[in-house]
Amino acid sequence: MTWRVTLCLLPAAGWGVFLFGLPAVLVLATSVGVAVAAELLSSLAFRRCTLGDGSAFLTGLLIGLLMPPGVPLYVPSAASVFAILVVKQSFGGLGRNWMNPALGGFVFALLSWGGAMTRWAAARGAPMSPALPPLEALRSALAATGAAGGSPLAILEKAGYPFSAVDASVVAWINTHVLLPLGTALRPGVFDLLTGHLAGRIGEVSAPLLLAGAGYLLARRIVRWEVPVLYIGTFGVLAGVFGGLSSGQGWLAGGPGFHILSGSLILGAFFMAGDPVTSPMTLTGRRIYGIGLGFLTFLLRFYGSLGDGVAVAILLGNCAVPLLDRLMRRRVPASARGGIE
Amino acid sequence: MTHATSLSRGGVNPPDNSLTSRTAAISNAAVPSLAVIPLLQHAGSAARCVVKPGDLVGEGMLIGKADGVHSANVHSSIPGRVLEVRAWQAPDGPPCQAVVIELLGAFEKSGRRQEMRVWESLPRIDVLGRIQAAGVVGLGGEQVPTHLKLAMAPGRAVSLLVANGVSCEPSLSADYALMKEKAREIVEAMKICRALLNPARMVLALGENAEDLVAEFERTFRTCGMTSEIVLMPSRYPQGNEQILLSSLDGTGLLSPPPSSSVVLNVATLNAVYEAVVFDRPLIERVLTVTGLPVAEPRNLKVRLGVRIGDLFDECGGLTAEIAKVVAGGPMRGVTVDSLDMPVTKGTLGVVAFSRAEARARRQWPCIRCGACIEVCPWDLEPTRLYKLIEQGDTATAEREGLSRCTECGCCAFACPSHIPLVALFRGGKEAHNRGSRG
Repeated sequence: MTWRVTLCLLPAAGWGVFLFGLPAVLVLATSVGVAVAAELLSSLAFRRCTLGDGSAFLTGLLIGLLMPPGVPLYVPSAASVFAILVVKQSFGGLGRNWMNPALGGFVFALLSWGGAMTRWAAARGAPMSPALPPLEALRSALAATGAAGGSPLAILEKAGYPFSAVDASVVAWINTHVLLPLGTALRPGVFDLLTGHLAGRIGEVSAPLLLAGAGYLLARRIVRWEVPVLYIGTFGVLAGVFGGLSSGQGWLAGGPGFHILSGSLILGAFFMAGDPVTSPMTLTGRRIYGIGLGFLTFLLRFYGSLGDGVAVAILLGNCAVPLLDRLMRRRVPASARGGIE
Repeated sequence: MTHATSLSRGGVNPPDNSLTSRTAAISNAAVPSLAVIPLLQHAGSAARCVVKPGDLVGEGMLIGKADGVHSANVHSSIPGRVLEVRAWQAPDGPPCQAVVIELLGAFEKSGRRQEMRVWESLPRIDVLGRIQAAGVVGLGGEQVPTHLKLAMAPGRAVSLLVANGVSCEPSLSADYALMKEKAREIVEAMKICRALLNPARMVLALGENAEDLVAEFERTFRTCGMTSEIVLMPSRYPQGNEQILLSSLDGTGLLSPPPSSSVVLNVATLNAVYEAVVFDRPLIERVLTVTGLPVAEPRNLKVRLGVRIGDLFDECGGLTAEIAKVVAGGPMRGVTVDSLDMPVTKGTLGVVAFSRAEARARRQWPCIRCGACIEVCPWDLEPTRLYKLIEQGDTATAEREGLSRCTECGCCAFACPSHIPLVALFRGGKEAHNRGSRG
């Protein structure tokens, strides 16, 4: 099962490698290699081989996908060791960890090497220097110009954020042939946001490929739909309605599409929030969890200082899972308890 | 004919492998040359042995006498000589004794035409006595002595009598085949039970996959001068469970205590009641399904009690693949047998063989807390939590959280993506708890 999740991530990982080249290969190889080595170490220590369950490989891969391509290799290494040995094995191994190992390792790295974790590189075909992911660029544009007005993409365009030539021609073609006759138009940058021709973490730059993998997981019911769908839905609604308020753009100006596609929301929602081990066991619990994650991510992204808010929101959510499970516990009616009390 | 609503919650739809055995008629299995007959084949206390090594026994002769009212008679399924009376351990019960009989002499009953006896004019107690003497017990899974279910305490009225024809396990088609061939006998037995209990309502419950039998039963009801509702049940496991069946019939919730004034009898049990009352034939054979992927031709067999389970595969064209395990009962609730020498008993609904490849695919992984077991549990339990509590040895807490309400239906183990053998663990946990609370 874990191997199938890994398989579903490979297209997105491949696209990241295509966009960022050799540095991405090195980061992914390091994070996976160190994670597997750490698992091997604990297998030797506990004298039971757990490599076959595939969870170490998956954790390593997720950590690599959460890294910016230019990160020094000791960062993913430390993150993988922390994820496998501290977050997972010290709580008893697969199924007993209360925190998603990949996220634990990632946040550990984010808090320890904040500078290295923002060493961005431009993707193939993106004419930017210095490279900056769209979300960070939006933040600095807002800080520089104050209330600029308009949607996130409009603000980026006004601030001179460079989109690729492919994006320009694709958006122009769609506008002239499809949308302008209908009285509307796409902003430049939409195609880049979808295909990742800009800057960002290795795994967050290919939304369609992530969604394809996630679609398979949902169809085979390996990941249950409640958490990721309610998560993204809640976040999208909140970002759309209230997202403009924090930057003075007013109501309904948040640009939900931009915020769903930028940052690691899709990767996090399907492949980390959807992790059964660290999400609630009951249907009601999962619904509350998904909605809560959307709410937390909205708060952290628009009013917080830690990047896109996804990782920290899911970690906070993880902390609430035991409580949610406890609250949802079945109450056995006294009449049906049998005669022992 | 009416349709009933489905389970209020939970349940699973396991693949039904009975298609091949469904269409086949019931065939008689060969008579064994050696029969091993345990003296505890029912819920309650073991029968007392009334034979000794060297004794000659006839077909259907009493070899174990019911020890009190919560027990049942046990008869010899073949004519022969008692070789030994030895200690016996069934795979799923307390230790008892078993009588080993070697085939010898002639069959006095089988194959001969027998006189039908009248029962309508008999007092109720005599009809019950025939059922009790024949050692009839529940043949649909829970082997409660049938005379206990049919003996009504004075002053108590039975509101509902159900003839249960819903398959108790997926892939087992023995009940279906029996209903197809013995509709008249089953309806006659319903008449007998009606006379004993005088219920306010009578229902014949069938699975939706047995809809083709409805017309035949309606015809049989007419010719036998019998009236009964026929209710079709959704074919979702475990719809055949007694408590779930009753709650879908009268619309009460599962968590309320079961209406004690209802009686449910499996169709195979009814057939045995008919044979006991009308032909004075003791319960010495039963119909069961032999199935599983490695079985060449899955079949419904009429089998003498005490025959070796391993011999049944030869009746079904042999095995096409190496087997990893054999289960007595059905694929969901059955008990794995340690040896093919285990005999067929009154409670053996079927014999299911699993191939090496199937066993490999069910390799066990750690629990990933996915909650699938919680979703399918019809009894609103949290199997994953019970499992962890039992693993930690805390059976007292597990008991408080409803372990004793677990009917071991097997839905959780079926749904578990990590293939954790939850039912086996719960059986162990219940035993450990009972030992602990006694000691």
